Amino acid sequence: MERSAVLIMRRALLLLALLLGAPLGSAGSQSVVLVVRADSAVVDLDSVSVRKLFLGVPVLVNSSPLHPIRNRSDARLDQIFLQEIAAMSQSAYDRQILIGLNRHGWLRPEELDSSGRILDKLAMDPNAVTFMWQRDVARNPKIRVIRVLWTD
Amino acid sequence: MDRLINSLRVRLIGVVLVIHAALVPLLYLGVSVIIQEGYAELFVNSVRSFSKLTADELEASGEREFEQRAAALLDGAMLTGQVVFSEITDGQHKVHSSLAIDAAPVPRADDFDFGDHGDQVYYITHRIKRGDRSIMLRLGFDEGPTLERIVGAKRRVLLAVLTFTFVSIAVSIWLSAVIARPMVRLQEAAKRVAGGDVHAHLEMNSSIREVQDLTHHLESMREKLVGANDRLASEIREREVSERKRLDLERQLLHRERIATIGTLAGGVAHEFNNILTPILLYSQVALDDTPPDSAVAKDLTRIVAAAHRARSLVARILTFSRQMDVPQTSVFPLRPTVEEALALLRAIVPANIDIVFDPSEDDSMISGDASLIHQVIINLCTNGYQSMRRTGGTLAVRLGVAENPTVPQLDPGKYAMLEVGDSGHGMDPAVMAHIFEPFFTTRGVGEGTGLGLSVVHGIVTSMGGSITVESTIGSGSTFRVYLPAATRTLLEGEPASG
Repeated sequence: MERSAVLIMRRALLLLALLLGAPLGSAGSQSVVLVVRADSAVVDLDSVSVRKLFLGVPVLVNSSPLHPIRNRSDARLDQIFLQEIAAMSQSAYDRQILIGLNRHGWLRPEELDSSGRILDKLAMDPNAVTFMWQRDVARNPKIRVIRVLWTD
Repeated sequence: MDRLINSLRVRLIGVVLVIHAALVPLLYLGVSVIIQEGYAELFVNSVRSFSKLTADELEASGEREFEQRAAALLDGAMLTGQVVFSEITDGQHKVHSSLAIDAAPVPRADDFDFGDHGDQVYYITHRIKRGDRSIMLRLGFDEGPTLERIVGAKRRVLLAVLTFTFVSIAVSIWLSAVIARPMVRLQEAAKRVAGGDVHAHLEMNSSIREVQDLTHHLESMREKLVGANDRLASEIREREVSERKRLDLERQLLHRERIATIGTLAGGVAHEFNNILTPILLYSQVALDDTPPDSAVAKDLTRIVAAAHRARSLVARILTFSRQMDVPQTSVFPLRPTVEEALALLRAIVPANIDIVFDPSEDDSMISGDASLIHQVIINLCTNGYQSMRRTGGTLAVRLGVAENPTVPQLDPGKYAMLEVGDSGHGMDPAVMAHIFEPFFTTRGVGEGTGLGLSVVHGIVTSMGGSITVESTIGSGSTFRVYLPAATRTLLEGEPASG
């Protein structure tokens, strides 16, 4: 009886520790991932292709152009985008986009500032590619992660 | 202190200083922010581009030569000088540059903004996908040179701003002096005008339109002030002359009234006295006729008759002064023969030590009146003159002339014959001159004069519508001028005129 009580106590403490520790653990290892719709034909994109895609350069998969969506839902995500994907400052990025638009006729990547709207867009467009916090897409069966871009 | 603060120059300089104090810090801060952001942009762009290219290169490299390729890339990155830390982590395995790293970096999160993070290192981590696993590329970039450039640029900006400030202040001081100088000159000129120098010209050579306008307006005001001042001075002078004339007239009027009063009184007394004298003289003469000539009574009566005659002569002169004589024989006659006749008589009685000089006028004026009275006037004036030179001798100057509109208060404008009698005697002081035309006023001793000579002259001249003036200086003599209205020839032809 005493042994079972001690075991129950240990399990309760372990459960409490897990409950308390879970959010800390998830907050301590944030990741930014590249995502597409779950049934998208896009399986993988290398680093150069991702950069091309978000600089407005047309990237084809199965002869279909991919549609980049820049996620501007929070400032931190924006900073990670500029450093890890565009690899330049915001003003330089804007300048590059304008050059591509005016000189080569490339399309400007769509920019959305709401996670909900981004998910809606992904749900509608199988060629849409965007980046999000991993925690936002972890349990979403309609979204597929194709690459981890950055880990804290 | 208030005077200093309120001066134009200090205020102009103060305005410049206030503007600089307000704008220069803002300018410096603004330029500093631009410099900071510009350098940050350059730094972030270059390190992000470099690290991404390195990551892409590693991701693209094959599996076999990966280790060797990774080490070469890290060595190359370190050799740029800008990278101060480079590391590739493949699970637990770490690949470092073969070049020595001074100190193991403190593990910390990636940097996304340029700035001083304490260690002046900007860390970037790239996740590189290799097959079904990921490796981590971590590079640390030295922010020091960029921070030094920023500090240097800010110093240059600060120096430029301070130089600009000092130059601006110097220019403002010079400019304030340029602006204030004409104002100060204008102020000094205005002070001179205010001090009474209304003829001080307000001439300013300023290129500033407002100062030119102000100078023009002030000069116009000054000219008007000068005009008004001159008019005022002229009016004051005219009033003074007028006042002097008024006082002179008043004094002469009082004098005439006094003389007239005395004359009336003397005339009345003389008339009564004449009435008394007539029986005295008549009965004395009758008694003398009835008395033996050699008797003592006859001698006494003779003396009574002689005294009565003298008394009668005195009464006649008093009546002449008071114009209560018999009706004069008025006629128009030339003045010169009358004067010459009188002077001929005088030469017989004037002492030898006195010269009589006669200066007749070329224009022989005619006058209207009784020639015997004019004769008496000349005799009395000349007698008065030679008696003042009796002891010392001298010159008795008689001159005839014509005066057009003489400046004698009692006279109306017109043409007058002038008789001037001057002597070089002892002269008179103003106190004596104030009374010389009064009857019985004399400066001579008892028995030497009756004091009626000049008063008789005055009475005759004024009865003829003329006037008499006198000028005298102690020790130099006196000059009498008699002005008598000039008569026309028409009257001469129509004589005898009724008196």
